[in-house]
Amino acid sequence: MSVDTRPAVDDPVTFGRVARRPRWIAALILALALAAGFAWLGQWQLGRSIASAPSDGPDTERVAPLTSFATTNTSFRDDQLGRLASVDARLVPGDWVLLSDRLNGGTEGWWLVGHAVTSDGADLAVALGWAPTKAAARAAEATATIPTPLVGRYLPTEAPDMPSVEKGVQSASSVAAFINQWQDFSGTVYPGYLVSHAPPSGLDRIDSPKPIPPEALNWLNLFYAIEWAVFAGFAIYLWYRLVKDVVEHENEPEPSDSDQ
Amino acid sequence: MPAGPRPEDIPRIRIVLAIFRVSAIVTGIFLLGLCTMMVLRYGFHVDIEVGGSQGFVALQQPKLIEALNFSTFELITHGWLYVLYLGLDFLLWRMLRFSFGRFLWFALGGIIPFLSFYFEFKIPAYVNARLAEAEARTATRTEVAA
Repeated sequence: MSVDTRPAVDDPVTFGRVARRPRWIAALILALALAAGFAWLGQWQLGRSIASAPSDGPDTERVAPLTSFATTNTSFRDDQLGRLASVDARLVPGDWVLLSDRLNGGTEGWWLVGHAVTSDGADLAVALGWAPTKAAARAAEATATIPTPLVGRYLPTEAPDMPSVEKGVQSASSVAAFINQWQDFSGTVYPGYLVSHAPPSGLDRIDSPKPIPPEALNWLNLFYAIEWAVFAGFAIYLWYRLVKDVVEHENEPEPSDSDQ
Repeated sequence: MPAGPRPEDIPRIRIVLAIFRVSAIVTGIFLLGLCTMMVLRYGFHVDIEVGGSQGFVALQQPKLIEALNFSTFELITHGWLYVLYLGLDFLLWRMLRFSFGRFLWFALGGIIPFLSFYFEFKIPAYVNARLAEAEARTATRTEVAA
């Protein structure tokens, strides 16, 4: 707004002059505070529209007995994915599988996968640990043990990779493939494998991060966020309109002869 | 200080007023539904399910609802009806040129239960009185001019 420098005799009331009155400056501050509040609410709502899609799944980071949520000889359910599990089991000596091309912290290396039999007699594949070379992974076989109870993350079986099997190299952690390699298979098997949190000596712990919950856009919250933005704009507009009303009112002659 | 309606706005004001009355009644009804729903959801932890397995209308835990969650429907619908109500309140304020305080007071109709039912007859009475004043002013002026 330009500063009015005309003499004060019969100067018309301008928008800028009314807006600079303390009362309307206070009103502007109030309107801006309201708009900021609304914008903050919109921001919060926007965050909620992305983050808080209802996740009714179990807490994957709380260790639960494997038998309490996983079942044998059935398919792997979504709500079992990546849960921390504890299980009492013993390793079957000699039933080792080495998997190639396994990344750990971005480095390619080898997994040593053991064949465990749980206390109730079911077979369970256990990814014991990671080593940078095949030789190091193989060397760990001799001393490999698992603690009781064994704690690890329960993950679904991977699809077997045929081409590499033909070349004598195996990279997929496929329970279906393991069953054919184990010398002694009871006929009862868990459809997933456990990534052990306690690697035997000579192996690194396999990096198994917490699963990322599926994100869904909550459209209701998204529309409310837009609504808050509109309200914020409206708070400013209302201030403008009220000042304008005063300007018009003060510039109007006597209301009795206000012919338009 | 309020300037009162402009004569050329009077026909438009009557239309807006008619829509406002309907809006006040409908918003008021949904506000009562909203109160019911809030008490059920936060007091008793149930929502209203329509057309579900428990019967046509049933109270059910929100997580177990598979059919239409009427409580959420009510919540959303009241929100939008109130936006319409505020819009009509805004139009009346602009065209009748009454005070900002009165605009805010009328806006409470969609928030305080039962208030909009009071407004439904009180505001038209107020508006009609202002229109009558404006028409009387115009009539006097025309007589003077004639």
